[in-house]
Amino acid sequence: MSMLVDKTKEVIRTLLPVVILVLLLCYTIVDVETDIIIRFIVGSVMLLIGLSVFLWGIDLSMNPIGEHMSMEIATSRSLLKIAILSFFLGFLVTVAEPDLLILGSQVEAASGGTMNATFIVYMVSIGVGVMISLGVFRLLRDKPLNIFMTITYGIILVLAILVSEEFLAISFDASGATTGALTTPFVLALSLGLSKVKGGSSSEENSFGLVGIMSAGPILAVMLISIISGQKNIQGDAGEYIVAEGVLRPIINAFPGIFAESLLALLPISILFFGYNFIKFKLTKEELFRIIKGLVFTLLGLAIFLTAVNSGFMDMGRIIGMELGKMSHWILIGIGFLLGLIVVLVEPAVHILGEQIEEVTSGHIPLSLIRMTLSIGVGAAIALSMVRIVVPEVKLWYFLLPGFAFAILLSFKSDPVFVGIAYDAGGVASGPMTATFVLAFAQGAATVIETANVLVDGFGVIAMVAMAPVFSIMVLGTAFKHKKVTYPVIEKKSVMTSHLIEEGNIQHDCILVVANRGFAERVIEVARQSGATGATIIRGRGTDEDQKVMLPVINIELQPEKEIVLLITGTHVSESVADSVLRDTQLEQDGEVSVFISPAEAMVETLA
Amino acid sequence: MIDIDAMFFVVVSQGKANDVLRKAKDCGAKSGTIFLGEGTIQNKLLEILGLTEVRKEILMISSSNEICDKLHETLSEEFMFYKKNKGIAFTIPFKRWQLQDTLEEQKSSPENIAATHFCILTIVDKGRGKACINAARAAGARGGTLIHARGAGIPAEFYFPLVIEPQKEIVMVITTKEKAAPIRNRIFSELELGKVGNGIIFTLPVNRVSGIFEGVTP
Repeated sequence: MSMLVDKTKEVIRTLLPVVILVLLLCYTIVDVETDIIIRFIVGSVMLLIGLSVFLWGIDLSMNPIGEHMSMEIATSRSLLKIAILSFFLGFLVTVAEPDLLILGSQVEAASGGTMNATFIVYMVSIGVGVMISLGVFRLLRDKPLNIFMTITYGIILVLAILVSEEFLAISFDASGATTGALTTPFVLALSLGLSKVKGGSSSEENSFGLVGIMSAGPILAVMLISIISGQKNIQGDAGEYIVAEGVLRPIINAFPGIFAESLLALLPISILFFGYNFIKFKLTKEELFRIIKGLVFTLLGLAIFLTAVNSGFMDMGRIIGMELGKMSHWILIGIGFLLGLIVVLVEPAVHILGEQIEEVTSGHIPLSLIRMTLSIGVGAAIALSMVRIVVPEVKLWYFLLPGFAFAILLSFKSDPVFVGIAYDAGGVASGPMTATFVLAFAQGAATVIETANVLVDGFGVIAMVAMAPVFSIMVLGTAFKHKKVTYPVIEKKSVMTSHLIEEGNIQHDCILVVANRGFAERVIEVARQSGATGATIIRGRGTDEDQKVMLPVINIELQPEKEIVLLITGTHVSESVADSVLRDTQLEQDGEVSVFISPAEAMVETLA
Repeated sequence: MIDIDAMFFVVVSQGKANDVLRKAKDCGAKSGTIFLGEGTIQNKLLEILGLTEVRKEILMISSSNEICDKLHETLSEEFMFYKKNKGIAFTIPFKRWQLQDTLEEQKSSPENIAATHFCILTIVDKGRGKACINAARAAGARGGTLIHARGAGIPAEFYFPLVIEPQKEIVMVITTKEKAAPIRNRIFSELELGKVGNGIIFTLPVNRVSGIFEGVTP
């Protein structure tokens, strides 16, 4: 089975609940035209194909591009170059984002033309560039993420007091729009690459957080625009919404435009990368070919995915929202919760973040747990948004403010890896599915409920979706920090050591040291002192009968992270290497090392 | 504490390692370590599309020889290693090293390593693992598993002081005794491992295999 099959299966697993729920609604309480139901089903199939191909393409293209670019940034010797290069990466990846232009024109219309759409796009992109630049500095300098984010959100809070509620909603929405289908994977890859190059004990924590930092850029930019221009109120209405007719026509009509947009969004980063490759990287033909293949997959997948979502899902969301809005408010809130619960898992970036978590922690953090937490967070966010639509007295900041405040507070109590994941999750959850399907659902509900304002209430939904996962994952991270480790009583007895047979051709031993995550460097240091030369580290996770790591409350057993160090030593030193590793007190106490030796037949020349 | 004198390795598709470990614990295995790897499949069409990677999980269980034998039997049965592409398992005689409390003379165990197969491990820079697998295939190996790893950190002075951790790939090829030498030589020459810094290659003896379709006498 290949990875594409695995990806497709994963997408099916996440998409199926959405399809079932929607169809169930269609045949029970909501009255939907057959055309739209068929279009929804066609859209689902397209979404399945598009998303699988897209995820595959990202794997082939964005990950290596992110890795090479981050290498270029990190190994730079000039501060100015690091700043400018990371600024440009952030700027370029944002400026071409189609969602952002849509948002810009919405704001232009809403402000009665006083604000230019292009101006907004550029300002937001500059905001992202600056934040990426700062985020890269933070990462390279190893400053704690929680303090960095506290300061950032502190500034946002101060600005939030100065802007109107409309602009508060728009600024958070801008953040949701910039963390689109393409930007998020790229920035995730960039931060993974940077942390790999940077290395060190905090490399795991550093793999996350850049998306979170980036998504603060648009918030700051839009708030500043509002304050400087003195624009407070937005006028106008969302305009008359026309549900497209027919089954295939809307899909076919939408595709070329979306394809062009996707191409445009992909272009700046590709050009920058190929330019750099021409001057500097000079990758082999094979590698380059792989990346180009990946880019083609990404483009095709993205275009199919977005078409499916825009023409298959949006009308459906709108109609369900309108129909439910007419019914009991409790049904609206309940269905909203359910939709949020399952729709977020279809977001492309959620898949990519999950993959990254798995790679970085080699399976130590259970993916299902992260997904569940994310789901509950987003479900609650949508439900609360529905409450806000139904009850006009409830304001957006009633939830946003305490939500972020608690999240920030928890970030000092949480397991450090989770701080990054949590901030990233906000940007990751508010992707294209939220921006189309869920937003359409909320706006549909808002149009039928008299007291609701389609524009303001609609905008706020994305802000809520961006906040809730930060909060919920931070809670999970706090639980992880307090995981219980039960140690057995270690019986120390004098041990006999079996010696290795000296065969004529065995001149080397392979020593395998299994230790807790973070101790590999120490193992190598000790081993080197007693005569070992090279070493290779593998990341893994391990379980031990005698030692159990449990999460409080939910009682899930975790597999602690391990590092496996592979050493090749000459037989004459291998004993002393093994002994000294076991004797090292630091390793013995916290590292929980165990050492294994096997005779190895090495080609001596290669060990020079 | 029981004597540990073998390391039981299982390579299965991603997500299955936990099931295998659970089963292994029923057989008396105490602890296991899991890490991620990549397998390869041979298929011309998929190669063109760039779809040759398969995510694998490698489970490493340290245990006594008896338990390892039991694991071989139970796990091959349970997870159908005798069918192709279901997974493979093998044992490498890794001894657990323990500190000498007394000054007692170290006894060498008379046990002979009856290696029927060999595990060829090649450590190269990231990106060259594929070439290594191709070389192994050309010399008669069926396939290989790629493990992502990193070398020991080298402090480097850039604008920000970094500890550059070179990304490495470990290629694991299991093969019969007869084929081991040609495969090793082929990899050695094709990847120019003779040059300093290009990578290292070594072989480990394998006691017993399950799920490998070459040179196995039923």
